Amino acid sequence: MADDRWRRDSEGGDEEEEEVVDETAYKTAKDAVLFVIEVSRSMLTPPPPSDSKKIDNDSPTSASLKCAYALMQQRIISNPTDMMGVLLYGTEESKFQGDERGSTSYPHCYLLTDLQIPDAKDVKALKTLVENEEESKQLLVPTNASVPMSDLLFCANQIFTTKAPNFSSRRLFIVTDNDNPHESNSRLKSSAIVRAKDLYDLGVVIELFPISRPDQDFDRAIFFDDIIYNAAPLDPAAPAPLATASAPSAAKDGVTILSSLLSSINSRAVARRALFSNLPLEIGPGFKISVKGYILLKRQEPKRSCYVYLKGSKPEIAAGVTTQMADDTAREVEKVEIKRAYKFGGEQIAFTKEEIAALRNFGDPGIRIIGFKPISMLPVWANLKPATFIYPSEDDYVGSTRVFSALQQKLLRDQKMGLAWFVARKNAAPQIAVILPGAEKTDDKDMQVMPPGMWVAPLPFADDVRQNPETPLIRAPEQLIDLMREVVQQLQLPRAEYDPSKYPNPALQWHYRILQAMALGEDIPDMPEDKTVPKYRQIDKVWLRLKSRMFPGARLSLHTLQRAGPYIMDWGRALEAHISVWEQENQSAATTALTKRSIAADTDIPGRDAKRAKTVDLDDVMSDEAMKKSFDRNEIGKLTMPVMKAWLQSKGLTSSGKKADLVDRLENWFEKK
Amino acid sequence: MADKEATIYIVDVGSSMGKKCNGRQESNLDWAMNYVWEKITSTMALDRKTVTCGVIGLRTDATVNEMEMEESFQHISVFQEINQILLPDLKALRRKIKLSRTDEGDAISAIVIAISMITKYCKKLKYKRKIVLVTDALGSMDADDSSEITKKIASDNMELVVIGIDFDDAEYGFKEEDKDPVKAHNEAVLRNLVNDCDGVSGTMQQAIDEMGVPRLKSTRPVASYKGQLTLGNPVEYNSAMCIDVERYPRTMIRAPPSASQYIQRSDLISPSSSATLLSGDGDAAMAGSDPNGLTSVRNTRSYQVKDDEAPGGKRDVDREELAKGYAYGSTAVPIAESEWNVTKLETQAGLEIIGFIPWNRYERYMHMSVSCVTIPQKTNNKAIMGFSSLVHALFELESYAVARLVAKAERDPLLILLAPSIESDYECLLDVQLPFAEDLRLYRFPPLDRVLTVSGKVTTQHRTIPTEALNSAMSDYVDRMDLSTFGKDEEGKPAEYMKIQDTYSAVLHRIDQAVRWRAVHPNEPIPPPFDILVKYSNPPEELVKKAKRRLEKLAAAADVKKVPPKVNSRKRARAEATPISGLDIDALLGPARKVPKTVDPEDPILSFQKLLDSTEGSDGIRESAESLANIVEKHVSDSFGGNLYGRAIEELRVMREEMIEVEEPGVYNTILRKLKEKLLKGELGGERKDFWYEVRKNRLGLVDKKSSERSDVSEERAREFNAFR
Repeated sequence: MADDRWRRDSEGGDEEEEEVVDETAYKTAKDAVLFVIEVSRSMLTPPPPSDSKKIDNDSPTSASLKCAYALMQQRIISNPTDMMGVLLYGTEESKFQGDERGSTSYPHCYLLTDLQIPDAKDVKALKTLVENEEESKQLLVPTNASVPMSDLLFCANQIFTTKAPNFSSRRLFIVTDNDNPHESNSRLKSSAIVRAKDLYDLGVVIELFPISRPDQDFDRAIFFDDIIYNAAPLDPAAPAPLATASAPSAAKDGVTILSSLLSSINSRAVARRALFSNLPLEIGPGFKISVKGYILLKRQEPKRSCYVYLKGSKPEIAAGVTTQMADDTAREVEKVEIKRAYKFGGEQIAFTKEEIAALRNFGDPGIRIIGFKPISMLPVWANLKPATFIYPSEDDYVGSTRVFSALQQKLLRDQKMGLAWFVARKNAAPQIAVILPGAEKTDDKDMQVMPPGMWVAPLPFADDVRQNPETPLIRAPEQLIDLMREVVQQLQLPRAEYDPSKYPNPALQWHYRILQAMALGEDIPDMPEDKTVPKYRQIDKVWLRLKSRMFPGARLSLHTLQRAGPYIMDWGRALEAHISVWEQENQSAATTALTKRSIAADTDIPGRDAKRAKTVDLDDVMSDEAMKKSFDRNEIGKLTMPVMKAWLQSKGLTSSGKKADLVDRLENWFEKK
Repeated sequence: MADKEATIYIVDVGSSMGKKCNGRQESNLDWAMNYVWEKITSTMALDRKTVTCGVIGLRTDATVNEMEMEESFQHISVFQEINQILLPDLKALRRKIKLSRTDEGDAISAIVIAISMITKYCKKLKYKRKIVLVTDALGSMDADDSSEITKKIASDNMELVVIGIDFDDAEYGFKEEDKDPVKAHNEAVLRNLVNDCDGVSGTMQQAIDEMGVPRLKSTRPVASYKGQLTLGNPVEYNSAMCIDVERYPRTMIRAPPSASQYIQRSDLISPSSSATLLSGDGDAAMAGSDPNGLTSVRNTRSYQVKDDEAPGGKRDVDREELAKGYAYGSTAVPIAESEWNVTKLETQAGLEIIGFIPWNRYERYMHMSVSCVTIPQKTNNKAIMGFSSLVHALFELESYAVARLVAKAERDPLLILLAPSIESDYECLLDVQLPFAEDLRLYRFPPLDRVLTVSGKVTTQHRTIPTEALNSAMSDYVDRMDLSTFGKDEEGKPAEYMKIQDTYSAVLHRIDQAVRWRAVHPNEPIPPPFDILVKYSNPPEELVKKAKRRLEKLAAAADVKKVPPKVNSRKRARAEATPISGLDIDALLGPARKVPKTVDPEDPILSFQKLLDSTEGSDGIRESAESLANIVEKHVSDSFGGNLYGRAIEELRVMREEMIEVEEPGVYNTILRKLKEKLLKGELGGERKDFWYEVRKNRLGLVDKKSSERSDVSEERAREFNAFR
């Protein structure tokens, strides 16, 4: 986007003020994907019905279209500046850039979505084709003529050269079930091979997503191994790809073609650009290897809001242009005129450009290891931002990989970490960082889910550390801790681990769902399931189970505890009992007025109210029961503002606004319940 | 709000301060002033109105103070009344603080004046009151009424600090030989006075030594969340656990101060003043409020939309004509002001535990953010005890809690990892943010401990896999470079080296040091950074020495070779590429493959490369490049707005790379010069400044000597050439 472009320039041009330039190079590495789907009789035949419960039984072509649709939506969120196109081949109809229907530049190639940053129209067209059967029946008519692969590849070549000429990553995804398109024609085969070589020379990577026919497996060796190359040739910063190719997708074992295709495509995601390339990693004085750094962890935010011009034929994004002007004369300023100064004592202390550069310069970029420590010495709070993933590179030092590997394996084995002086770029502020080893992780299908390598995590300086706020301590008694232990043990996350892929960001997803609906002119969708919300029912069950399993009066000999009733002992009640014992024992001069009041409140309750919720609110907050009563009698309006505010605050609700707002909010709360 | 402060510095400027003692190169006064300036400028750096200073000169030639009529208060001058010190004050002080020609003047009297000034200024308000006396203790002193002073200092809660030049200090380990008896007596008097007031006395050397140690700024904690920590839903289920808690920052990045942009004030621009930006001395202050003659730079933003009829294809639009909105792909989605929150997820504040995981199932590198600390509500005993049971349960089970945090209603939810922390008298939960599904970019990398061959075999013996010898040499080296016991604690016992509390932000304190230095010494070069800032930029020498043999062994086993710069080229081996099957494509084509005669406009890049591959000699190369250049020019000329710029840029990029590769940078440079000339003259379809901008952005300027040895263009010249003029 033009807006970004200008911003980038004003940041990137300023070498002495490196501050925000960090990831610009990374962001500018844009990707263009052309999704090519074969349309043929076999591709349009749904797989034989299986006894699996899955309802969708898509034909390979329609599964591929669904896959393209899903990919397009995903990329709009995660890579908003990347391009995507969809090309069908083998259709009766033909369509190319600028052509009217029925034109013949590339017969039986149908350019459904031209290669560009998708707009609402593209999304909608694809969506309609996926969801509307009539529409798809009309278009997805296989031709009887055969489409030479060389034509298809040349067509792709044209699309890439005209639409994405200077993209650093250009990929051609081919989905087909035909492993032998030129069975009997070696001339056609040869010319396809030549066209593929041209694509390779242009830096276009062909990715094949084969689909196995029910009766026969897909054999790459027959044709596709001759047109597919192994490396991303143009971008030296991209890592060498894994040697394994995508396994053929097929509908079997209850896995649909769609899900199998999606997982193949996701598995082909490769880092397109390194954050830094060939940075020296100095393991000891004079002993260096080279590494590349990648951003694998980064908070994905919604794209910034922008300004939209509405008076044109259609809404258009207005590009912002910043000009710098002198404050006194409002004259436009050239970059070279600008001096840097720090405010001090009410005035400016100026420095020359060279002086500022010298002040910031603490040596050349690199990661210099100072020594090693056990990972256990790293406090859990010692963190500032996501770590950068590093992986060896042979470009500057031959042998880097084996040395890196030896270091990684040693650190993993002994659970040690490196301490390093880290200058990420020229003029970057030096950081003290830890180097943590990361083991390769695979899922149950042997697919890599976490790459092997090391992570460089900047540590806070003494300046960045805040002290713990003061707070009194009342240590919980053993019994109470034991109860809590049971809960912790029973409420482990699935597989006893935090798997980020299970938790999409609800705010981000909602943002784009709404935007999509608005862009396509659809109704506002329902709220999707928020995976970050706790499973309340399950938690309730655990609490209840715990309660019933408590043995009458077990291990509790204190007078008050026995009085609490042997059959309904649980954590909340145990806490109530223990705290009143504690307060009796500690009722000295030191007790605050506030705690005294809470004791009074406790002792006021005659016997034990079994319904009482286990909240530990401040006592001046109205109880939920009392509030509920007011609500039931429609008397909330009679409460005073402070009472309502305190109660709202105790529920984590906003307590600002006029009285009517508070009443509304309170009533809403109970109505939702 | 932080506390208000009032500090008075009493500086002894008596003639005896002009001596150079104990082998120092500077006079005692200059030496002592290092300390005083450091103190005053660091106060100024706070830029707070309520942190004030005053300065009193002791043993001055003149007498300027409120009790100047009395005999015992002679030769004491108030240089600076208590106030926030600004730069002009600092400059005035620099002129005033000079050696006098007298040794008359009583330090005790100066303290009395300081007390009186503070009392007047602070009245009964809450201030941190402090008096700092810097002296060589060679003047005469009358300490008879010191009990009054002690009483006043105690009752007003003032702090008295005496920093003496070459005072004896057993704790620091300094003793002056052959001490003047007067000084010895005065030192004792001052020390007693300080002790009576519960103050601090010390020797100047120690104060100077400690100057390099950066001071940490203390920040009052501000809660980032106040509310309940819940397990379960208290609204739906009354089994749920709720604990009132507060959450505070534990780490927070303290960024270096940022410089603002200024330019020379236009009314001051004259041929003579162009060279020096800095005014030599305080005199220039007369020129106006800003003695440096600078004026600030303002950013103004304008907005443009595409307009095919406007020159350059763009047209300015008024901010008023624009609506706010978002981009969905390339579609603009305007959103009315009243509906601005429509894309925002509705949330309610809360900290809700979603489950637990064992420590050993969590990878530390998943930490996404700065950390925070959560404690129970301070006055709520039940919350405190309940919280304690959770902390202990987590600790005993070696588990973390994973929770969903909405810090305030309508904020976006975050997932955080809560870790228990138990100290002897402190319990809390520490937390960091966790990544969401969208935050993790899953890229695959080849394994590091084995190699998968193309044929699908797995091997552990390969040049990229370490040998047994390398592994064991690495292991030995890592063990030897252990820092966990390399440091020393206060008692000299082995302790952790390079602790977080010993490391300081280098750029932050370096800039701070430079700004303060320049404020006091406008005309002197900036001294080097304090050692403590670069202490951890290299492994400790002693350890390096100890590990030398093991490092040599490691290097031998590793056999790493630096790649000579020449070979390290971006160029791919075009001819070597074969598809997965290994098919020899050249053989397939045979000699029959057509070699184009000129660059094919339909397929310029590939045909250019083929053409280059088939030509030999400079002439052929030049002709090929010129042929491609024609196409570049055509693309620029035909470009509608900027729609063909991308192609032209890519063609230039390929041309530049190829010319560097075949060592003909001159060919590219000539073509680029011609292109720029045509752009300037408007010969390529009118105003094309934005195309030149693309050239610069893509770093396609002249090939300089650094990029190619054959180039005759200096880096300087290449940079100048980038300007569009």
